[in-house]
Amino acid sequence: MTLRSLIQRTGVVLGLLVLAACLFYIGKGHTLLLDTNTITIDGKEFRSLPSVTVSVDGKELDFPMSRAERVMVDVSGPEHTIVIADEADAEKKVEKNFTIPTFMDRVLVSIPAILGSAPAEYWIAPFTPDPVDHAPAEKMQYYKE
Amino acid sequence: MKRLRLFFIENAVVILFVILISIAIPASGLPGKFLLQEILTRLGRSSFLVIALLLPIMAGMGLNFGMVLGAMAGQIGLIFVMDWKIVGIPGLLLAMLISLPISILLGWLCGSIMNRAKGREMVTGFILGFFMNGVYMMFALYAMGSLIPVMNPELLLSRGYGIRNVVDLASVRQTLETFIPLKVAGLNIPVLSYLFIAAVSAFIVWFRKTKFGQDMRAVGQNRAVAGAAGIAVDRTRIIAVIISTVLAGFGQIIFLQNLGTINTTNSHEQIGLFSIATLLIGGASVTEASICNALIGVILFHLLFLVAPMAGKNLIGSAMLGEYFRQFVSYGVIALALVLYEWKRVAQDENSRARLRGGRTDVP
Repeated sequence: MTLRSLIQRTGVVLGLLVLAACLFYIGKGHTLLLDTNTITIDGKEFRSLPSVTVSVDGKELDFPMSRAERVMVDVSGPEHTIVIADEADAEKKVEKNFTIPTFMDRVLVSIPAILGSAPAEYWIAPFTPDPVDHAPAEKMQYYKE
Repeated sequence: MKRLRLFFIENAVVILFVILISIAIPASGLPGKFLLQEILTRLGRSSFLVIALLLPIMAGMGLNFGMVLGAMAGQIGLIFVMDWKIVGIPGLLLAMLISLPISILLGWLCGSIMNRAKGREMVTGFILGFFMNGVYMMFALYAMGSLIPVMNPELLLSRGYGIRNVVDLASVRQTLETFIPLKVAGLNIPVLSYLFIAAVSAFIVWFRKTKFGQDMRAVGQNRAVAGAAGIAVDRTRIIAVIISTVLAGFGQIIFLQNLGTINTTNSHEQIGLFSIATLLIGGASVTEASICNALIGVILFHLLFLVAPMAGKNLIGSAMLGEYFRQFVSYGVIALALVLYEWKRVAQDENSRARLRGGRTDVP
């Protein structure tokens, strides 16, 4: 193998690796949990409106969200746009952009924080489900008579 | 008369299938629009896999039963993409990129082994598929989750390692079919799938015209002469198998994204026989095949797939019998094509000998 072909082959391999990294970055799927629960930031309480319509990346939810609700939406890529509109007043509309870290799979998006113009770092948070009690189904139960 | 006879002999399989289908379509009672939509969808689903078989035939290696190795690589790519939750077109492209080095490695292995079994490539590829299936099983059912970290617990078996029997491809399901929505006369056209097929067809056509493609044809026609002309025969054959294996990996990804699920343990097993039967039904032989053969094969094979159960139900009263009949016919065609090929080869040898003696030469 000549030096030239070695360089060419290395270039192709590196190019493919870069392409793979780009595809990973732009195609990474995230599960958004749109949350209208009240949130308290630095002692200040942010409450959602009684009923809001929400659209993420141009796709509107099928139904308006009331207070204290969570709705799951699947998105891909890091950059997203959310539009929140008041059901009662069509003029009242908030449009914001937010970025999701690549390795954050499930993301809690706080609608009250976005509506209340809270600092951007409070708009999204990683969502970790509560631990489920372990019930080992495989384990046989023996009862002594 | 002789010409007509030759035509029937050359196209025996296609004619047999056209006759069968023309009987089965009216008997099935299925509406034409439904059949047309299904054929359009299935053409996008399977053609890539069948076209992947063309290059080894050109290199004189017969039907590449080793393509299941590429299918395994494609499945591994898809499993990783599902684990990392990469969705849509980027997910499919990434799966293809992951399958690429695995396919190249497996193709090189397959080609090297076939070079040691010249003249018996098909049976070698078939058995190699069984051998690699064991390696794949060890990878999928043991290494994934134990040696190779799997982040998505939904993919794992309840014991904590090994991939589940069925992997849901929800995040990439029918991405190619729906990416460019096009409806013509109420029929959905999978535009992007067709573009992929057009691209691979263009590649094959271009490749045949290149110096390397010509070398490959020369190797396919006569290894000894090609070797004497300075062509690296073994290397050419290995590259033909590598390209075929890589294309089979991509084809399997396109095939599975259309179906929407991977059957981890046996999706790849069927694909070799399936694609080879399709190509043979399209009128190809062990030594000659074209893109047209691949496309005609997909249409005929899938039409029979669609109509046989309903025709069986309407004619015999049992859909199962129709399906058994379809399996019997469609896989029996492989045997028929191989027998016809061997018969023609023997006849041609006899013809050549007769010509040398100055005797009759009417044997096809």
